[in-house]
Amino acid sequence: MRVSLAIIALALLVAALAAVPWLVSDYGLGFMINLMCYLVLTVAWALFSGTTRYVSLATAAFFGLGAYTVAMLIKEMPIYATFGVALVLGTLMALLVGLVTLRISGMFFVIFGFGLSELMRELLVWWEINKTHTMGRYVFVPFNTTMIYEHLLGLAVLVFLVGWLLRRSRLGVALLVIGDDETMARQAGINVPVAKLVIFVISSVFMTAVGAVMAPRFGYLTPNFAFNPLISFQVVIMALLGGMQRLWGPVLGVVPLVLLSEFLQVRFPFWFSVFLGLVFMIIVYFLPRGITGLVEDGWGVLRRPISLPRGVTGPLIDVWGSLSRPISLPRGIAGFIEDAWARLVRRQPTGGR
Amino acid sequence: MAALLEVEGLTKAFGGLVAVNDMSLSVSPGEVLGLIGPNGSGKTTLLNLIAGTIRSDAGTIRIGGEDVTRLPNHLRVRKRINRTFQLVRMPPNLPAIVGVMAGVMYGAEPKRYKDAEYEAAGILGELNLLLKAGYRLDQLTYIEQKRVELARALATKPRVLLLDEWLSGLSPGELDGGMSVVWSLAAQGIAVILVEHVMTAVRALCSRVVVMNAGVKIAEGPPGEVLRDAEVIRAYLGDDDAA
Repeated sequence: MRVSLAIIALALLVAALAAVPWLVSDYGLGFMINLMCYLVLTVAWALFSGTTRYVSLATAAFFGLGAYTVAMLIKEMPIYATFGVALVLGTLMALLVGLVTLRISGMFFVIFGFGLSELMRELLVWWEINKTHTMGRYVFVPFNTTMIYEHLLGLAVLVFLVGWLLRRSRLGVALLVIGDDETMARQAGINVPVAKLVIFVISSVFMTAVGAVMAPRFGYLTPNFAFNPLISFQVVIMALLGGMQRLWGPVLGVVPLVLLSEFLQVRFPFWFSVFLGLVFMIIVYFLPRGITGLVEDGWGVLRRPISLPRGVTGPLIDVWGSLSRPISLPRGIAGFIEDAWARLVRRQPTGGR
Repeated sequence: MAALLEVEGLTKAFGGLVAVNDMSLSVSPGEVLGLIGPNGSGKTTLLNLIAGTIRSDAGTIRIGGEDVTRLPNHLRVRKRINRTFQLVRMPPNLPAIVGVMAGVMYGAEPKRYKDAEYEAAGILGELNLLLKAGYRLDQLTYIEQKRVELARALATKPRVLLLDEWLSGLSPGELDGGMSVVWSLAAQGIAVILVEHVMTAVRALCSRVVVMNAGVKIAEGPPGEVLRDAEVIRAYLGDDDAA
């Protein structure tokens, strides 16, 4: 009964979202496209990175691959055929990259992902200048913003469905265990490299698909634009802000950050990156488990029965006591900051590598 | 009875240090083989080699006559060799049952998600841990952690089980409970290799003991005889006491 109610509620939500293009202005639709784009990218990113704890900066590589494939082929074939080619290329690249890189871990993988998207960008710039003698491509097709939005919504539904099914599957449990303790995962009989490769490919294909669908949105595409490394960083920040312990966690990161970046880009276009960097630092230091963690902690406090052994006056006396105590900073403000820092560091999730 | 696990000439060197040198041993179904020796004598390395945690330089490992020397760790699990670690290894941030479920789903008799949940609960129940199924590793006591790890190993349906100091650090009461668990595993026909410093347990459980020192086997036989052996005493206590 509870499950079927949840399904009805989710179906209504999707229906409402599908009706958005007929309800909002052009500006509103543009904003919703941006939101859906980052939502799919971030959930797809969390599918791989949230479970295996590999921090991937290869998002832009796959997004760009999807977008630029469509841009290069759009004059040769129908748009859905270009999508198909993009997905095939995305799968192949994910397989290749996964086979090569999933044996390296930690910092090296992060750098590799970043390097990959930069390499593809430079290669395409070189190719376009020296071989095709074009710089930038026009994507003019009868694929309007409404179509783009509905396709992104479809991808969003699909990526959540995949994530939901994954949690209740053998692969999902394997990935959870791998993320926590790889040696133990092997000892449970899990083929660790294959499990990582499968989820990397699934995640990358979604990113490629988003890139492909977004290509007509831009109208004019250069390699520098398609393989913009900012995409990779923004996705990481959004996922971290939202928290990755729950499937819906990234939503809580995407919505505020897309709103914030919209605001910042309009009001402070030159300070945008600085603010983004600040937000990143604040999240990493103060919200190691993301907004999801905050929500869960708050929920835990609310669910606990209220106990007042000394009546209502007890807490009041305590509060008054703490307020009336003189502020003492035996080690100065620096000491206070150090203590706060120590508390934060202790709250970091354990078991990473 | 015919040996289930046969190890022949197993050798592993780390740089210039030969940690395990030409080791041979065999265990039969239902037998508990004790593997003892001073610290640093290569016992854990030998377990790592048999389980496939690390690869050997030379020698062969056969289970039920089948050569598994070249198989990676996870495939040896499916050939029914499993182990516990000296320092408990279970996923630190996940409920205890998840690690056990992983063992059920990827072990020698793989199960689907739904069935795995029931079976993992059953295995935890047999080890008196059912009420702890939802707890994280750091919320469990030391003995409970060790039992949860054993549950993970048993979930893969092993025929050969390698226990690395699984009985160490327990109170006398816990030790009795732990020993009866090992006893019942052997009674089910599992071949157990017990790396252990707790000699009461070795004497009570093992019909046969292999003693290692500096990577080589220096004695083998029933625990009573072997522990009186002059070379064994020298290895443990030095030359003065061996007279």
